Amino acid sequence: MTTPVGYSPKVLEHFHNPHNFGSMDNPTSLGQVGNPACGDVMKLYLKIDKNKKGQDFISDVKFETMGCAAAIATSSVVTDLSKNKTLESALKLDNKDVIDALSYLPDIKIHCSLLAIDALNEAIYNYYQQINHPISESLQKKHARITVCQTRLNH
Amino acid sequence: MNLSTKSRYGIRALTNLIGQDCCCSVSKIAQKEHISSDYLEKIFAKLKKADIVKVERGASGGYTLNRDASKITLQQVINALEKPEFVCPDFCNCQSKSVWHQIQSRFNQVLSSITLDTLVASKNKLIYFDYAASTPTDPEVLATMLPYFDFNYSGNTSSLHQFGLRSSQAVEDSRAIFADILNSKPEEIIFTSSATESNNTVLKGVAFANIKKGRHIIISSIEHDCVRESAYWLKTQGFEVTEIPVNKDGLLNIDLLKASIRPDTILVSVIHGNNEIGTIQDIRKIGKLCRDRGVYFHTDASQSFGKVPIDVQKDYIDFLTISSHKIYGPKGVALLYIKSGSQITPLLHGGGHEFGYRSSTVNTPLIVGFAAAAQISINSLNQENHRLTQLRDYLIKNILKTIPNTHLNGSTTYRLSNNINISFDKIEGESLQLSLDFYGIACSTGSACSSHSLKPSHVLLAIGQPAEQAHSSIRFSLGRFTCQSEIDYLLKVLPIEVEKLRKLSPFK
Repeated sequence: MTTPVGYSPKVLEHFHNPHNFGSMDNPTSLGQVGNPACGDVMKLYLKIDKNKKGQDFISDVKFETMGCAAAIATSSVVTDLSKNKTLESALKLDNKDVIDALSYLPDIKIHCSLLAIDALNEAIYNYYQQINHPISESLQKKHARITVCQTRLNH
Repeated sequence: MNLSTKSRYGIRALTNLIGQDCCCSVSKIAQKEHISSDYLEKIFAKLKKADIVKVERGASGGYTLNRDASKITLQQVINALEKPEFVCPDFCNCQSKSVWHQIQSRFNQVLSSITLDTLVASKNKLIYFDYAASTPTDPEVLATMLPYFDFNYSGNTSSLHQFGLRSSQAVEDSRAIFADILNSKPEEIIFTSSATESNNTVLKGVAFANIKKGRHIIISSIEHDCVRESAYWLKTQGFEVTEIPVNKDGLLNIDLLKASIRPDTILVSVIHGNNEIGTIQDIRKIGKLCRDRGVYFHTDASQSFGKVPIDVQKDYIDFLTISSHKIYGPKGVALLYIKSGSQITPLLHGGGHEFGYRSSTVNTPLIVGFAAAAQISINSLNQENHRLTQLRDYLIKNILKTIPNTHLNGSTTYRLSNNINISFDKIEGESLQLSLDFYGIACSTGSACSSHSLKPSHVLLAIGQPAEQAHSSIRFSLGRFTCQSEIDYLLKVLPIEVEKLRKLSPFK
């Protein structure tokens, strides 16, 4: 098989017609990752409600992204993947899910898929902080890693 | 041989059957193409017999293609309608018989290589604003070089038989063209495979040939990667590299250069016309300074050759790089001017081609094409500069006027006639590049997202742009085939796409 060149049709589709973009009035929580100096900033807004079983779930999600086509496409896909999911199952999403939903990403764009998942994790982390919900060790670790990245990028 | 109206009308009629808005009925096509319906019916009957079209019944009846347009060649269509022949009759035994055979087979080759879909695709023309990345080969250049792929020129230039001599003569004629343009001696021109090779040869070749004098090399902070990376590699080999900064216009700080030249400095390399922001350096001043201080001066003129006149003597140049594919010549060939008597070690050792500076079998057709391209560029230099400068300034003025928060990167005065580099605040360059590609408009970006590192263009950082602005830069580079209507189309699309991406951005 020949190596695919450029972006997949799925990436282009999401890039030209992104889903769930724009800001949100009164979001329950938001997560922002990336750094303008690196060319990528993602902001994810979550509206969180209780489902019939009384679990927290993402009833609405929006994104705003400054970045390359892959950054915009991965943001769009993360909103699709996380919408209507409970926070618990949203936390199980990883960048492989994002890449699969887009068929494939060029190697140098894999970091965009990580960034999109980071934005989601940050938004959930911030929500848990807000309501004093215990934070799992793995989420704590992810948050620490993201914060370190941001600080490093800022300097 | 004579191609009748049958074939020409047949091909014209068939292009109407391609794509979604095909009009299939014979009467409609006849009307559109101004061909009589009866005549067209006869043509279609033959095409049907050859399985190129099939009949569609019903209200919107008529004809459709029997297979994909990309699978139908002009050869098949013409053969279905007539049988054009160059060939002498079988009984003929004339002197020219083999020539007609050859012409016939060439003719067939060309016709089989063109499919119906390409005829239509050329109607939906793409717009190319990336001439600084590479240029299309000029049809005149292509025509000049094609015979040199023939049997007659198949000889190795090193061979002493007639085949070798013929090739060798073609290469020497090409060398003389460059010597004439640059005001050098022919034997000072070395053909290489790329500007990257020429630049690597200078940096590494001068470094290793002049160790006795010193190990200090000076480059500007806005060099092309092939100079920068060569210099950085030399650092790992025990050489010292000083990078001279530029001002916000991208002009080299010559006072600092003067102060940086030391007794152990062996080479100064400064790019003539910058590939990203188009800034043109005062190479004569830099060259004179280097000559006075007894230091070799190299300039990479890949972008500037054909746009800015260069005279290796008056400009005090010791080494000069020129690339073919930036001046409408073929890819895969470039040159290096080496001032006679200069100390330089070759990168490639072998049969001693190119006066021992570059061993490798000499690529006759590409060199002939390169020289033809150079001649055309030089002949039209003033006229083309005038035309491009007007288009360039019109585009810059209108982008800055119609789109808020945009900035021109580089100099307004010392600028290549075809270069436009603009930052669009709050958006990332690659996404804008891709948005424009959707409209068939090609350009490039200094954003890191299009590179393998996370760092934005070192050139934009060197002229003092913050990283954010560097990421949001777009380069439009114009060229020989750019016209006013293409610029107007860009100016129509650009504000819409910038607005769309700014809406997506978290920064307002």
